[in-house]
Amino acid sequence: MRSPKSPTGTFNIGVVRNKHREGITTDSRDWSMVHAGALVLDQKVVTIDGSTLVEDACQILIDNNISSAPVLAQSKSPVSSSIERKKSYIGMFDYGDLITYVLIVLKRSNFSMEGDDVSSLEIKEIVRRAVAGQSVPVRLASDLSRKNPFYSILSETTLLSVVEEFACGTHRGKEITVMRLAQGMLSQSMVVDFLFKNVHNFSDLESLMNQTLRELGLGHNSVLSVNADSPVLDALTLMSKFGVSSLAVVGQMGVLLGNISITDVKYVIKSKNSLLWNTCFQFVGFVRSRQGIDDGQDRYPVFDVKLDTTLYQTVAKLIATKAHRLWVTDDRNRASGVVSLTDVLRAIAKNAGLKVSESRRRDSLAKGPWA
Amino acid sequence: MGSSDLDRQIEQLRQCEIITENEVKILCQKAREILAEESNVQKIDAPVTICGDIHGQFYDLKELFKVGGECPDTNYLFMGDFVDRGFYSVETFLLLLALKVRYPDRITLIRGNHESRQITQVYGFYDECLRKYGSVNVWRYCCEVFDHLALSAIIDNKIFCVHGGLSPSVNTIDQIRTIDRKVEVPHDGAMCDLLWSDPDDIEGWGLSPRGAGYLFGGDVVQSFLHNNDLNLIARAHQLVMEGYKLLFNDTIVTVWSAPNYCYRCGNVAAILELNDKLESNYKIFEAAVGVDSRGAGVRKRAPDYFL
Repeated sequence: MRSPKSPTGTFNIGVVRNKHREGITTDSRDWSMVHAGALVLDQKVVTIDGSTLVEDACQILIDNNISSAPVLAQSKSPVSSSIERKKSYIGMFDYGDLITYVLIVLKRSNFSMEGDDVSSLEIKEIVRRAVAGQSVPVRLASDLSRKNPFYSILSETTLLSVVEEFACGTHRGKEITVMRLAQGMLSQSMVVDFLFKNVHNFSDLESLMNQTLRELGLGHNSVLSVNADSPVLDALTLMSKFGVSSLAVVGQMGVLLGNISITDVKYVIKSKNSLLWNTCFQFVGFVRSRQGIDDGQDRYPVFDVKLDTTLYQTVAKLIATKAHRLWVTDDRNRASGVVSLTDVLRAIAKNAGLKVSESRRRDSLAKGPWA
Repeated sequence: MGSSDLDRQIEQLRQCEIITENEVKILCQKAREILAEESNVQKIDAPVTICGDIHGQFYDLKELFKVGGECPDTNYLFMGDFVDRGFYSVETFLLLLALKVRYPDRITLIRGNHESRQITQVYGFYDECLRKYGSVNVWRYCCEVFDHLALSAIIDNKIFCVHGGLSPSVNTIDQIRTIDRKVEVPHDGAMCDLLWSDPDDIEGWGLSPRGAGYLFGGDVVQSFLHNNDLNLIARAHQLVMEGYKLLFNDTIVTVWSAPNYCYRCGNVAAILELNDKLESNYKIFEAAVGVDSRGAGVRKRAPDYFL
């Protein structure tokens, strides 16, 4: 069941846009009419007060095992404090913001490698020193990175609208990866997970899912990568510069050896030294080893698929591994492309008849260092 | 290499002393010859003691031998993951290999997911070889041995032993025999699945969160046992705080033999003793005490992957 093409240009959040008739088409066979609120149930939302120090905000992410959290501003009441003003959301804070913040701070303070034994400092210490002992509240650091801009929708917003926004919307010039509703947060993963779990109810999706990445024209893009021997600091700088949450770590001949994700930063925070100056390959080993102890089981160093993998298998792997992207490798294990949750949602949006612009992928603008 | 040479090497390794690079080369050559003759599903006669992951925890391996009996007095099956993470992967693997060459019918070694070039470069064995020998040759020789290790074992045709678990591509034991195993562990397919999969509380199959292999439910285990006339699947691959864990109505057991894993998890370890009537007895043991587990002598700075 295909929805009619949406009108180009205008867009209203929270308004049912397409001319589906109620009753016939709002049954479970039409995913596009499902309300966003239905996907966000029983959620415990962890929020961070805007006055929290950056390093403490990071600890909140770690302790709750989440990668982003909304930041609340403390509204100052002009009258007596017996009137409790509702806190307002001012943005999102995630590991990407932390990295960007640290990089800005390092650059501003012009850390030199000699003299200071910087490689042995914890991130916290770097941050503290760099601001000359002043404490920086997280509200100044939130939304620094270009991912996860704060974006709000109503719980009645249709899933079709949600998919369209995740696939190609921008907010304040940034890609949208999470949305806020009254009930909580709705992420790309949650949408993909819902559609995947219910795919057998949605025949249009089912046939889409049976196609391969090659057939769908996915995974053919340039890969943002970092050389295995370069320092971790380079990887973080690259991720920050291009606003991506993960980089391929490649060895000789472009063979994919591992990847570094923004969320790996939490292991950097936890470790005794800052690891920023270790090589990317060492870092991959470090992160994998820590994950293996935390999980009681070890992971494969790379999460990849082939061009002939179906969208169904690709999505299954994204969900199973909780990854936000999978590398596409050729028969010599070189990274030849990437498939992200955004790409999956774009394919779904296109299949539903929505107009999806082609010029979006920031990744496609950058070439790997070995290209 | 004479028998006395090998005995001397075994004694040395038992003291946690490495043998020379050239001795490793010859030992690995000999091991490959023996392993090459083994089947993908190596047949073992009970009684035998089944062991899980060791991960380079040499002094805890010594504890294991104290609890289970020295080789060759006790027959052993080690279900892979001899290397990576612990500080003594080299000594651990070489001791087991030397015992295999010396007493080939008393000890069986099958391949774990860590017996792989790709994995050992990420999880520590490669670095340890480089550090202890100053070159990567020993690592290379060991990887060649890894390629020759059997994929699984079967005890008295009733107990199937594999490092990880089952594969959707494999319904019968015979199908495993047709795999070309003398290769680096592939990214996917039957051989990969056998070394990477995990049992889970689901129905049928699911993709593994590890990024390789599958999750499989009790119904899958039931079918496999039925189709192959088996009583039990023994496997390792996942940390178990209590040392061993039986699942799905005792049709599958995870045996974990690295106590206080990575010197910090605080778990106990286990071995599974089978007598000649295939009756099981689980023995629990703890990490070695009274030994500086970071090695006698100079206390080196722990490798990064340990912090």
